[in-house]
Amino acid sequence: MNLFQRALKNKQLVVGSVLGLIVLTLAAVGPWIFGAYDTQDLLLGHKPVGTPGFPFGSDALGRDLAARATYGIRISLLVAVSVTAIAVVLGTTIGLIAGYVKGTVDTVTSWIVDFVWGFPLILVAVLAAASIGSGLVPVILAVGLVNTVAIARVVRGEVLGISEREFVVAAKAGGYSALRIVFRHVVPNVIPVALVLSSYYVAVSIIAEASLSFVGLGAQPPLPSLGQMVSDGRNFIRLNHWEATIPGAVIFVMVLSVSLIGDGLRDLLDPRLRTAVERASAT
Amino acid sequence: MSAVIKRVLLTLLLLQLSSLAVFAAIRLSGGDVTAARLPASATAEDRELFREQIGLNQPILTQYVDYLGNVVRGDLGNSLTNNARISTLAVEKIRNSLILGGAAIVLVFGIGIPLGMLAAFRRNSWLDTSISSAAVAGMAVPNFWLALLVVWLFSSTLGWFPPAGSGGFRYLVLPALVLAAEGIALTVRMTRSAMLENVGQDFVRTLRAAGLSESRVYFKHVLRNSLLPIISLAGLRVGQIIGYALVVETIFGWPGVGQILVNGVLRRDYPIVQFFSLLLVLVVTLGNLAASVGYTLANPRLRK
Repeated sequence: MNLFQRALKNKQLVVGSVLGLIVLTLAAVGPWIFGAYDTQDLLLGHKPVGTPGFPFGSDALGRDLAARATYGIRISLLVAVSVTAIAVVLGTTIGLIAGYVKGTVDTVTSWIVDFVWGFPLILVAVLAAASIGSGLVPVILAVGLVNTVAIARVVRGEVLGISEREFVVAAKAGGYSALRIVFRHVVPNVIPVALVLSSYYVAVSIIAEASLSFVGLGAQPPLPSLGQMVSDGRNFIRLNHWEATIPGAVIFVMVLSVSLIGDGLRDLLDPRLRTAVERASAT
Repeated sequence: MSAVIKRVLLTLLLLQLSSLAVFAAIRLSGGDVTAARLPASATAEDRELFREQIGLNQPILTQYVDYLGNVVRGDLGNSLTNNARISTLAVEKIRNSLILGGAAIVLVFGIGIPLGMLAAFRRNSWLDTSISSAAVAGMAVPNFWLALLVVWLFSSTLGWFPPAGSGGFRYLVLPALVLAAEGIALTVRMTRSAMLENVGQDFVRTLRAAGLSESRVYFKHVLRNSLLPIISLAGLRVGQIIGYALVVETIFGWPGVGQILVNGVLRRDYPIVQFFSLLLVLVVTLGNLAASVGYTLANPRLRK
């Protein structure tokens, strides 16, 4: 069986990808269908679910919840997916260099990594918000920094192990250049770890962005962050619970999708990763 | 042993650097710290005078050395918003956070380990499937949303527990449960996979051959070999738990370190932010240290 056929047999991967596709589709076409996220209705006040033009009702300012939720997905994806993607590239590069070159480079990198490691993601974002003011920028900086370091840390450990293995030692003995050895022999063995880890960090970042927006330190109004929508809606939970339950459910589905894809990839690419990744993802 | 000492020294150095970084980050603030204390009508001169008084106009390093000197003398400074002494606040907030965190840890291990064992013991049954699926879902639920749902159900609808605040045991239940949820889910998965990994080991085959009952093999011998990684994980998870606690305490109005820190940032009360964020960094770093030292001491193969 080739990789694709095996992927189709992997339930977690299939379910996760389907959920992910639904979310992506909503993010892509939602704002086209439901209109602008900040149009206030002249008739202020909550509209119940199913009001014509408001499939999920509206918030207290009469703004369409469906439009806001789908736009909120875009913000979530911007922060979590694109920033983590950059972090994966940077973190893998740093981890490769530190783990392969060793020596002073490795020592200094490890110090920096250990240093940042003392700061939990949410705390870094809180400090960044304290330093440059609340908004999406401190959240993006925090997610980028912490994820880069986290990925560099794990990749470095992997590379240290791989560079002791026979095939790398043999390639070195064969006189091949360091670049060739790294790209031909080390990188392919590191990619599964980086992929699986990145799906985990996307999940963490989605939750971090939403949590920070929820407490008021993330995206600022009128931007419709999902976390902030839950926060706005919690005061009206008896009146119109959809205002809080829908954006929360959207976050849940996004995180679930990414976690399932991560679990599926792990089983597919390398079942032996299971414990290593669980240990890393626990931190 | 020397590796452990080296690790401890390095940790102390890192803490020193962290405190400087936090100190500088807060002072880079583009925001106006005077807003915490002075009325909106204050003039530019008033604001400047206030900055001068609290020492914000001196070079960062001078301020840092002064601050360290004060800390050594036991003076942690005062809140800008209500002038309360931080040392007094700290005792109360730390106690509250420890109560909440302690309750959450009890729930994490008290619920997570038995459920994980059950799933492993009855693997591939409907019970295993339900527990494992619940664990996957548990890791994906954003905790502030979970908080909202449990308040809606247990507080607004059923009226069993108060929605927020602090006081007796009844106030502790919901925040502790929400804070623990993700940890319970992770512990279930860790326990299950650690036990299944150990079941394949030679010693298990030997025990079975010796005629021990299946449940005795699982609940005595396999469990004992699986617990170490699960518990040493707790040290590494301190950082994440603290991150979640910031949010959970804010939602439930639990008067702990997380709540005062978030409010401090929102109100630009920088002495508060400075002290409490440093406190959290200290705890996380010590947690990491304890996990790595503990792991080294508990695993003879890592000792050199």
